[in-house]
Amino acid sequence: MAAKPSTTTTAKATYSPIDPTRKTRPPIFSGSDVDWLRPDSRGFHQCRPAFFRTGAVNSASGSAYAEFGNTKVIVSVFGPRESKKAMMYSNIGRLNCNVSYTTFATPIRGQGSDHKDFSSMLHKALEGAIILETFPKTTVDVFALVLESGGSIRFLVKQVDELDTLWFAVGDLPVVISCASVALADAGIMMYDLVASVSVSCLGKNLLIDPVLEEESYQDGSLMIACMPSRYEVTQLTVTGEWSTPHFNEAMQLCLDASAKLGKIMRSCLKEAASDEQE
Amino acid sequence: MEVDRADGRNPNQLRPLACSCSILHRAHGSASWSQGFRFIQTSHFYHFNLFVFTSKCYFCYWVGSGDTKVLAAVYGPKAGTKKNENPEKASIEVIWKPRTGQIGKPEKEYEIILKRTLQSICILTINPNTTTSVIIQVVHDDGALLPCAINAACAALVDAGIPMKHLAVAICCCSAESGYCILDPTKLEEQKMKGFAYLVFPNSILSVLPEGSSLVQGEPMEHGIITSVTHGAMSVDDYFHCLERGRAASAKLSDFLRRSLQSKLPGDLSKAE
Amino acid sequence: MGLPNASEDLSSEMEVDAFRRLFPLRYFERHLAESIRPDARSLSRARNTTISMGAVASADGSALAKIGSTTMLAAIKMEVMTPSLESPDEGCVSIDFHMPPICSPLVRPGRPAEAAPVVAKQLSDTISSSGMINLKELSLVGGKAAWMVYLDIYCLDADGALFDAALLSAVAAFSNLQIPTVSLDDGKIVMLPEEQKEENSEKEPVNKEKRKLTLGGIPFSLTCILHKNYILADPTSEEESIMETLVTVVLDSSNQLVSLYKPGGAVLAYTSAVQDCIALTRQRVKELHQILEEAISGMEID
Repeated sequence: MAAKPSTTTTAKATYSPIDPTRKTRPPIFSGSDVDWLRPDSRGFHQCRPAFFRTGAVNSASGSAYAEFGNTKVIVSVFGPRESKKAMMYSNIGRLNCNVSYTTFATPIRGQGSDHKDFSSMLHKALEGAIILETFPKTTVDVFALVLESGGSIRFLVKQVDELDTLWFAVGDLPVVISCASVALADAGIMMYDLVASVSVSCLGKNLLIDPVLEEESYQDGSLMIACMPSRYEVTQLTVTGEWSTPHFNEAMQLCLDASAKLGKIMRSCLKEAASDEQE
Repeated sequence: MEVDRADGRNPNQLRPLACSCSILHRAHGSASWSQGFRFIQTSHFYHFNLFVFTSKCYFCYWVGSGDTKVLAAVYGPKAGTKKNENPEKASIEVIWKPRTGQIGKPEKEYEIILKRTLQSICILTINPNTTTSVIIQVVHDDGALLPCAINAACAALVDAGIPMKHLAVAICCCSAESGYCILDPTKLEEQKMKGFAYLVFPNSILSVLPEGSSLVQGEPMEHGIITSVTHGAMSVDDYFHCLERGRAASAKLSDFLRRSLQSKLPGDLSKAE
Repeated sequence: MGLPNASEDLSSEMEVDAFRRLFPLRYFERHLAESIRPDARSLSRARNTTISMGAVASADGSALAKIGSTTMLAAIKMEVMTPSLESPDEGCVSIDFHMPPICSPLVRPGRPAEAAPVVAKQLSDTISSSGMINLKELSLVGGKAAWMVYLDIYCLDADGALFDAALLSAVAAFSNLQIPTVSLDDGKIVMLPEEQKEENSEKEPVNKEKRKLTLGGIPFSLTCILHKNYILADPTSEEESIMETLVTVVLDSSNQLVSLYKPGGAVLAYTSAVQDCIALTRQRVKELHQILEEAISGMEID
């Protein structure tokens, strides 16, 4: 027995039995599109059920776990801690963000690599809400791991690595942003307000709030807002694709209302955690 | 129970050892360690060697037992330690160079095992905030590669004058189905057997203290395991059997290591022997 | 632990904390002399262990294992490959261990943790040594198609005994594995959609009865710290950083020794210590076996 030929190193061409060619585009452009149900049978203006919990990772200064339907995300916050040696002196703190995916996040096994675009978008969305002056010379690290990406299994064929080419998809980013702000609050990092983020997809005449990846792959345009609900301020707004002005205004309002509600859920999660601690 | 080994050795017999120090001029210390014969190197044989590395191991069987040979070079102590290392201690860095190709997971594991093993025999507090690099170059692999590398690294550290608590001697024991065990297996034997263990022990110390004074938990110091790595399932009794055989053989190995290191010491010391 | 109500209590608490940071080894040794550890465990006691099955919906088999706060998420994805010529009727298992930056303050993005490839290697060695998986069961069409099993283990929280938790989650994921029903279509293996399973007769599933793997001897492990004459089972990361000699023993359910792993360390392991570690592992294997059984039967009730 003993050393069996190692199977891990040999790069064998393997493929997933899930057939990538089987794509049934929903009859969204047909006249009766109002009757069309979303894959998880939600209403067009209904978000997925959101769940937050703090303290998922003990070795981090603060952490949070978020679950929106099938999307599952863990965010850890480390610091404030010593900045990298190469960094110049700065009298305000630095924020360092990283988003990565597990290899099993998508139905077809991916590479599990870092997602550079999402990392920088997460950074931009959070930067405005954090009072960086409170931790000069040091760095706060916000690391996110997407355990499972949203979307129903049978239709979703896009791999995470291909997300870059799917240029309007924001994917799981809104969940990551909301979860990160809860984790920052758990770590005791000073913020002006929590950041709640919601996205809307535009499919023909319809607006779909909180779309899953599958819906995003058919969309004509996407809008994502990260905002501080109690201050009614937007930290990040991303718009891609085709939008008419009335549509756009409607989508904005939809997002802002939804983030106000999401903000309440996030707040109640933090309150619960704090009252548990006191007991 | 006796076993026939392809090269006609008896189960407890090691392959012939060879060790030479200071073979590289630029390194602060270096050593080569080989276990086994080197056949006449015709170009034809060299061709077979290349096959060995594409893991078609029965070619070794054809040409008889090959040898396992490793070169070790030591650079240091150099100033500074890497990140995540304790600056109050000397740190040891191990770089493993396989004979061909890129470094993979098994080599990474060897690096870590070697590093931890060397850390435990060196006196790290003498040169704090320094790094000593140990570079291991595999010349030929025919079984018991890691033990061979540990022995080579140990000799090279002595050659470089790095302060050490004691030497370490490494040995590979194979355990077969029927419970017997063989020492210093070739690559083919490693694969045929049920399981094998790489064991590292301290060398037997020469001491003026009376016999028995250095006993720890009722056992002499050189019976303690520094490192143990096993592959393949075996019964617990088989493991202890291997341990026993390994200890016996390690005494011979440590004698050999001592002799080959002494021969290079400045004249008067080796003459005094 | 109540809230400190007087200022005196607070100051004494600060002192203990400072002592712990300044003289970690002495702090631990004071505890060890009393045969107790700072987290109120006895020396030979492992932390609370839980397994939950089927944690990842997008995987074919998955499990979340927690030992204390060390958390591992293992998921299996099945893909199809052409088997090699040497073993035409065998599948393959590929095991990877990841330490994403969320798991520990020591891991930074872009710089993979030093421990990760070592644990990955140890895991695949252990699983292949134990003979838990019969690779022949992974064959689909002899010589043409076989399963490639990708097992990925993510460390979500690193607090010592990483290998133990990773092995436990891997074993649990394998016992949770449901092999998808597939059929041969134009020389390619495709998954049968749920609704077609019953009535569709032209596409005969090639693996109708093989939906679960039969697991051979299941390996379980226990990591111990050797420090002076003490043996501490199931160390936390703090203990691992202070006392550096670790011994990992892996035994399978029939008490065969699958691996005894001691990578160096300042403390030498003598026969009696090795025997003690093996005895502790024997006990732990029984515990873990029960925990795994309960997790599996818990799944079946649902």
